[in-house]
Amino acid sequence: MFGKQDRLTGYDPVKFRKKIQVIIWLVSLAFFLLITRLWYLQVVKGDNLSQRSENNRIRIQEIKPLRGLIMDTRGNILVDNQSSFDISIIPEAAKDIKDVMNKLTNLCDPGKGAISCKKASFKSGRPFAPVRICKNIDRDQLAVVETNSLDLPGVVVDVVPVREYIYGEMMAHILGYVGNISSSELGKNVYSGYRSNDIVGKYGIEKSLDGYLKGKSGGEQVEVDVAGRRLNVLGEIKPVPGYNVVLNIDADLQKICWDAFQEKAGAAIVMDPCTGYIMAMISRPSFDSNLFNRGISGDRWKKLTTNPLCPLQSRAVSGQYPPGSTYKVVVAAAALEEGLITENTEIFCNGTYRIGDRTFRCWKKKGHGTMNLHRAIVESCDVYFYHLGEMLGVDKLAEYAGKFGLGYKTGISLPGEKMGLVPTRQWKLRKYGESWQKGETTSLSIGQGFSLVTPLQLLRVYCTIANGGILYKPRLVKGIETMDGRVVRKFPPEKEIIIPISRKNIDILRYALWGAVNEPHGTGWALKRKEKDVCGKTGTAQVIGMPQDEEKPDVKEVPYKHKDHALFVCFAPYKDPSIAILVIVEHGGHGGSVAAPIARRIVDGYFNLERKRKKCED
Amino acid sequence: MDILILSGKGKNVKIDRRLFANFDWVLLGLVLLISGIGILNLYSAGYNLRVTEEHLYTKQMSWILLGLIMMVIAFSVDYHIIIRHAYLIYVVSVLLLFLVSFYGNIVHGSQRWLVIWGFSFQPSELMKLAIIIVLVRYFDDNMEKGYYPANLVILLTIVGIPFFMIVRQPDLGTAMFLMVLFLSMAVFAGIGRKVLIRLGLGGMIFAPLCWFFLKDYQKERILTFLNPERDPLGAGYHIIQSIIAVGSGGVWGKGILKGTQTQLRFLPEQQTDFAFSVFAEEWGFVGVFVLMFIFLVLVLWGLKIARYSRDLTGALTAFGVTMFVFWGIFINIGMVIGIFPVVGIPLPFFSYGGSSMIVLMTGVGLLMNVSMRRFILQP
Repeated sequence: MFGKQDRLTGYDPVKFRKKIQVIIWLVSLAFFLLITRLWYLQVVKGDNLSQRSENNRIRIQEIKPLRGLIMDTRGNILVDNQSSFDISIIPEAAKDIKDVMNKLTNLCDPGKGAISCKKASFKSGRPFAPVRICKNIDRDQLAVVETNSLDLPGVVVDVVPVREYIYGEMMAHILGYVGNISSSELGKNVYSGYRSNDIVGKYGIEKSLDGYLKGKSGGEQVEVDVAGRRLNVLGEIKPVPGYNVVLNIDADLQKICWDAFQEKAGAAIVMDPCTGYIMAMISRPSFDSNLFNRGISGDRWKKLTTNPLCPLQSRAVSGQYPPGSTYKVVVAAAALEEGLITENTEIFCNGTYRIGDRTFRCWKKKGHGTMNLHRAIVESCDVYFYHLGEMLGVDKLAEYAGKFGLGYKTGISLPGEKMGLVPTRQWKLRKYGESWQKGETTSLSIGQGFSLVTPLQLLRVYCTIANGGILYKPRLVKGIETMDGRVVRKFPPEKEIIIPISRKNIDILRYALWGAVNEPHGTGWALKRKEKDVCGKTGTAQVIGMPQDEEKPDVKEVPYKHKDHALFVCFAPYKDPSIAILVIVEHGGHGGSVAAPIARRIVDGYFNLERKRKKCED
Repeated sequence: MDILILSGKGKNVKIDRRLFANFDWVLLGLVLLISGIGILNLYSAGYNLRVTEEHLYTKQMSWILLGLIMMVIAFSVDYHIIIRHAYLIYVVSVLLLFLVSFYGNIVHGSQRWLVIWGFSFQPSELMKLAIIIVLVRYFDDNMEKGYYPANLVILLTIVGIPFFMIVRQPDLGTAMFLMVLFLSMAVFAGIGRKVLIRLGLGGMIFAPLCWFFLKDYQKERILTFLNPERDPLGAGYHIIQSIIAVGSGGVWGKGILKGTQTQLRFLPEQQTDFAFSVFAEEWGFVGVFVLMFIFLVLVLWGLKIARYSRDLTGALTAFGVTMFVFWGIFINIGMVIGIFPVVGIPLPFFSYGGSSMIVLMTGVGLLMNVSMRRFILQP
């Protein structure tokens, strides 16, 4: 019956067989199409897609290294690594996230500061990836969370290493602080090896020695599933911790300086004049480096940046002041070395000095009478130096200032160092388009006028005189060590230049500086100890140009902003000096009465410390 | 009940021995072979389960058993009797769809499941077979009359009611699947070229209109199909992960239980819609080629049954069921290898799914029915 039309139903098998034949071809074609595509994916693109499946499954996770420690010269730790605690929730394990969050908030006694959970997004699509809900909880909160961990499914505590600045404000300007690398920093060449989310030094030693401190990240290759759950560790490269940095700073001495300063604004630096090592360096007002640890709050940052006293600025290296009378040693050295005067050259001071139509006054109204160089430095006679300034001229003065290291950066390993200013004729012409006035040289010769120095530069001048003529590079960092104490790099004292001033002339200045403290009428009388071993010079730097021909008003009546800066620079002992100290009190008033007592406390503190340490060693 | 194991129209209550002699063992073997591979594959796909998930291969075995029972019922009763009850079957199926839209369970935002005595059942799967049966009946009845506009309206109504009800669930994939089945059968039954052109034009006007009625996620799927990388973690995720799984299998595959895409669960829906991707990843091109070959043999075998069918009813029935299987294979595999959008059509006998398995087995029963009765003369 096959092949014949069924009369009853009208079924024509031949017609349908032809159709089915066509459909068989079509179906085969469809299968061929699928097979072709499968062949393309599996055979042609197989390797490529295998790679993509590997990328799916294997994640490289960074292991952050521990940052190096910072220590003082005696091995006391100044910056340590501490643990900070974050709370995260693993959505898959928590099940009811809202409930867990509520429990977490209620558990902590509101009086002690409840755990504030930020509203985190839990819809990442990776239910095993922890979502951080609060940062930096304190230890009380941590204890509460840990003891109740059974009631808090899915809550995990992450330990994040943070910096602990043990001395807080006291060393903030030296040590600086750290923070997350910013996008603008990432774009810079200096930070080429860094990745976003890295912690970098933002200021101070943390910034300038970041390369040593940061260490090397390690990594692990982890097999993860689609939810981000770690299944296997396939390989691991251990992180290399950062190097420790040893400073020349003596923490005890730093504390002595800090305490001696009390609440005044200003800076103090203690340096070893024979090595250039910086033993202490403070700047006030200061800030607490620890504030920056987990990101500083907007309010606090605003408070710091809008404070008119600029606590973020390190006055010791970035502050620029007129040197005042402390500059006189430079003028004297220049005049001696140029042969314009000898130590016996006498000049009469009647209290005034006329140049052109201007009259300049000596600080002592009645005048000092006949003075030689020694007495002029001891009593800080202005008129004597007006004469020397006139003899030398501005450019000779600038030349000698340059020899003493003024007018350019000292190269200390801290960011933000300033150059100061050594004015010359050319400089004035370039800057103001005006020629140099004779009276300006007169101002300059007592450290006023255009002249600006940083405290560090000024201290170096006195170190050079103290050590007999060697200009050392200031050394804040003593060395770099590995974690187990192996020395990687040393920073020995570095002579920058031997200044071209004869030993004889330097000795004249040294003796004069001794006299300024220990002889009658010496301006630095405050430093007169029974050992008679301190040499020093006061300075009172005018903030605004007082009309020279008028009488100075009483110190107490001048508003704070217009008050003079009080300066004192000294070194001790006279023979074989071991420390040089600079103290500057911003708007403090008179150098001899404000800055010198602070210096005295530092000197006394230093020698007491030495004595105590020696006793301990014996 | 005396209609069991009888032939003809119930007048001769007599067991025909030829029925056993002509039983289609090849068809049964092919279906069981594919289902067996499917279970092995499900075992691997469910090997690394989350707590919230269920290992489905044992359940699939029970669905196969249930399906086999349905298969026996479907081939025992003469297909003419079944086709005679086509409208009843159709109406019951439509009613079930109605029930779903009122009482159905909502899973992933669509209402497709009806829960009866603790069992979830998908009436839209049943509708696939019901539409075949009703179309067989309609074409069978109206062959000689030709396809006048009035007939066309009736046809479109028959297909349109379930189509719109399934679109509303929403399950665009299954609704389109009904359309594809209808068109395949219409072409086979000999619907005129003119009518086809008219239907085609209507479709072209209708399709853009449909766009406005689509839910956002459906639009998203179509756009993502056109460019999967446009949203790699969202809508494009399924297809990208599936292509990676298939391709990374390479020539020889990663080995059973060793497919990283599967075992680490980067591949979504691996026990259901994307079961084929699991197989492709773990068995490679070689395994896929063998499986595709078995599938092709199954489809050709079905077409052979249609071709050697004794009458139009049998030919249409066999053809319809074969197309059911064929389009399932073509659309599902096309979907997991990125040549069709993700539409949620299961791979016949391979993807997990009770409704799908039972309905398909019943369909195979119908095929056997036609196959074993082709030598029996009609009284």
